[in-house]
Amino acid sequence: MVSKKNWIDRWTDNIQYHYKKAYQNKSWRMGLFIFGMLFQLIIFISYLIRQKKSGEKNIRDKMEKQFNESGRAEALRSQLENQEKQKIKFLNLNVSSSQNQRRVEKLYKEESNREISERVEAYYENDETGAQSYLQTTLDWLSTTGGLVLSLFLAWPMYLFLIVVSLPSLHYLIQRLLMMFFVIIGVTVIVFTLLYFSPSDPATNILGNQATPEQVENFRQLHGLNDSYFVQLGETIKGIFTFDLGNAYAGNERVVTTILRRFPITLKITLYALGLSVAVALPAGIYAAVKTNTTFDQLFMLIALLGISIPSFWQGLIFILTFSINLGWLPATYSSTNAMSLIMPTVVLGTGLMASVARMTRSSTLEVINEDYILTARAKGLSEAKVILRHAVPNALIPIITIIGLQFGGMLGGASVTEKVFSINGIGSYIVDKQFIPDIPSVMAGVIYIAIVLSIVNVFVDLLYSFLDPRIRSRVKNG
Amino acid sequence: MKSYQTRQTVNQVRFNNGLTWAWSALFLLLSIQWQPVSLKMPLFYMFIAQFVFSILHQTLLKSVSVKGYHSEKKNKKVKLLSIILLFGIFSGNIFTFISGLVTLKKSKSTAFIYSIYMVLVDVLVISVTAMNVFKPFVAESFLTIMYVLISLLLFHSFILVFGDKWHGWHNNIKRIVLVLLALSSLIGNVLTLFVAVSLYKEGIAGQKGKRKTSIREKLVRNQAALLGLLFITFLITISVTSNFSFSQSFSESNNYNIILQEPSLIYPFGTDNFGRDVFSRIIFGAQISLSVGLLSTVIPLMIGGTLGAISAYYGSRTDNIIMRLLDVLYAIPGMLLAITIVAAFGASTTNLIIALSLGAIPSYARTMRANVLQVVNYEYVEAAHALGQGNWWIIRKHVVPNALAPMIVRATLTIGIAVISTSSLSYLGLGVEAHVPEWGNILRIGSKYLETNPYLAIYPGLAIILLVLSFNFLGDGIRDANDPHVN
Repeated sequence: MVSKKNWIDRWTDNIQYHYKKAYQNKSWRMGLFIFGMLFQLIIFISYLIRQKKSGEKNIRDKMEKQFNESGRAEALRSQLENQEKQKIKFLNLNVSSSQNQRRVEKLYKEESNREISERVEAYYENDETGAQSYLQTTLDWLSTTGGLVLSLFLAWPMYLFLIVVSLPSLHYLIQRLLMMFFVIIGVTVIVFTLLYFSPSDPATNILGNQATPEQVENFRQLHGLNDSYFVQLGETIKGIFTFDLGNAYAGNERVVTTILRRFPITLKITLYALGLSVAVALPAGIYAAVKTNTTFDQLFMLIALLGISIPSFWQGLIFILTFSINLGWLPATYSSTNAMSLIMPTVVLGTGLMASVARMTRSSTLEVINEDYILTARAKGLSEAKVILRHAVPNALIPIITIIGLQFGGMLGGASVTEKVFSINGIGSYIVDKQFIPDIPSVMAGVIYIAIVLSIVNVFVDLLYSFLDPRIRSRVKNG
Repeated sequence: MKSYQTRQTVNQVRFNNGLTWAWSALFLLLSIQWQPVSLKMPLFYMFIAQFVFSILHQTLLKSVSVKGYHSEKKNKKVKLLSIILLFGIFSGNIFTFISGLVTLKKSKSTAFIYSIYMVLVDVLVISVTAMNVFKPFVAESFLTIMYVLISLLLFHSFILVFGDKWHGWHNNIKRIVLVLLALSSLIGNVLTLFVAVSLYKEGIAGQKGKRKTSIREKLVRNQAALLGLLFITFLITISVTSNFSFSQSFSESNNYNIILQEPSLIYPFGTDNFGRDVFSRIIFGAQISLSVGLLSTVIPLMIGGTLGAISAYYGSRTDNIIMRLLDVLYAIPGMLLAITIVAAFGASTTNLIIALSLGAIPSYARTMRANVLQVVNYEYVEAAHALGQGNWWIIRKHVVPNALAPMIVRATLTIGIAVISTSSLSYLGLGVEAHVPEWGNILRIGSKYLETNPYLAIYPGLAIILLVLSFNFLGDGIRDANDPHVN
């Protein structure tokens, strides 16, 4: 029985501690009020009753009166006036007296407000007066078992909020996810707005010039084109999250179904390309950094520079010319049954990333290799391989992950070109094909869903940072 | 102990040595016909010439890298070799020419190095323009432009040879030469401006022997960057002069008598399916590629730079709002944003520039923000505050100039990306209007004839790669020149 009470006590203490901490932060305080609305209402009533009882209806007024009467107000004002005068004299400024008066008034307001708040605070701190601030009332409530149960019952969202706020890593994750949510909405707004203000009329585009007014009207009704901008935007945002964006203009097919069917192959190629480029570029970049200024290093860096300079569609064409037409080793177009046909698209798509990762790996490893702790590791007598693999590479990894995260977006965007070259039916070539019609819902959905995938990847990369870099981890912990 | 200048010379010669051998290997590869195996004789003779020059160059490298060599002392053998190597330029080998000049001159000022490349640009432009001679007819102003180019070449060569006597000249002559140099940059040869500035700076008393700190001076050490600069300047010059020296009728009007011809002297890169000369089209395409690349770099540089500077300088809420909004833009891959804009407003050059610029704004803003955040903490900004200067004044006079260098590096490196994006979009049919001779458009046609006429796709692609590679070399060079770690 005793131990159980201790257990409860510990928990109430914990809750009170975190509540107090959260209350001190302005935006978190708002959260506490909003998520625990009912409970806070009860507390507010009890706070009002208590205030009435103790006769301290308006402590702030009282303190202000005290402040004015004690002569401190006069002293403060003259002090500030003096200060301003000194400043003007020293800087040789040309300021009219009314301007100066206004400035003094402003400063006085700030200063006096601060001092009065301090006094109020001190009054509450003083136990003898028996007055209680709002926070103290809440904490009192929470310290009783009845109050606790009541709060759990009425304000459980507030407790969820408290948990999120009090665990730094969870807080960071939720913050990141919220940001992602807003980014997705922002992306939807931008893409929708761009396409909404397109000067071409979709109805005449799809139905042709011969369409009767009824047909056009029917088309516009069907796709909700007669609604106002905001209604359509709202529908689109809702559609993005519920995976229902209606039918495509041309071809009676649901947009999201088509996209979901086309996505896997694009993701597959992108992921293969990612894996390939990391597998090649990371070891090669590290080796180039270890053997700086050798022929291998210079040659490899030249190749890497070529790799970022080569347009992927041209590379694809040259590959087809060499390996398919001249040598006949690999098929020129993709077919889902032939795994060999994936080789060329993967290499072409991965070249850019490979080159930039290799360059980044080399430069960041080079930077790390000259640090003192590498010298220490060498002085300890570790083998060269261990020095590089255990001490240099993990520290060089952060910028490499950044560049991978950044380039992943470019790769998903660039996939459209590679897909067109090798005639792969992925999401990229889908968007390109549909924009020629132009089939607005399809283009919009394609672009937005790719952006969403990217946002998820970015969140993942950010989390990976905090996992890899102790400096970032500690920054997350300290808020 | 070797002097710094000797070391620089040896490094340059070694760099050129590798390139010379690569150049001759390229000719060997080109001269071999694979199926059936045989040799293309004219190309093979070229290879033999290159091979001879490469061997001579190797000898030069050998006699330069021995211990006793000093670039300041007279050395008969090196001098003789250098003079022979200068003639490499007539066989199309610019690397032996550079090495020859570098070893021939005793003092290698910044102005001298830039003059070498200035003259090379003239030579390249003249030789490319001269290809028009083989055409059935030439543009009306062809001869005039040729005279102008040749007289400029003579003037620039004069500067190259006698530039080191600069200090002895009369002040008025100096002024006239500077003005003439600046004027000659009007045909697009911006290297003349570099030479003019270098000469002017060297003329100022007390400048001699001073430590070289500006990017312009440090860039001279990086030959790869200079070669990049050479190619870019060459393209700028050719896009300015081609308006007068190349006949538009070859690049734009259809001629069905000569469709899909093999490369020949009249049509160096062959003709496409409408009988248009691919060589002329690529030359005219340089204008579009360069201007779209430059514009879609400068516009986001300005907008993104301003937003980033404001956001970092004012901090807190302003920062939050601006950066969150840009995050949204950042989440859409540039290529897809461009496709969206083209889908909405149609394919045209203007829309393309807007689309590419819009997509690049966030990354510039982020770079600028990071730089400004760093600069704002320095004492001189605090001092400016203490002196009562306004925010705008501080941003303009103290913050932005000191945060600009990484932006320039970034801009140079992203011009390449802009050029690639432009041609990629054109290749997809979403970029520049289809009839305009743009490199991506030319490639698009070429890709249809990959099996029968592969050269239609190969040459424009090579042009794109060379341009992007040049910008990347230049960007890397500027970054290194700007990086305190490297110096």
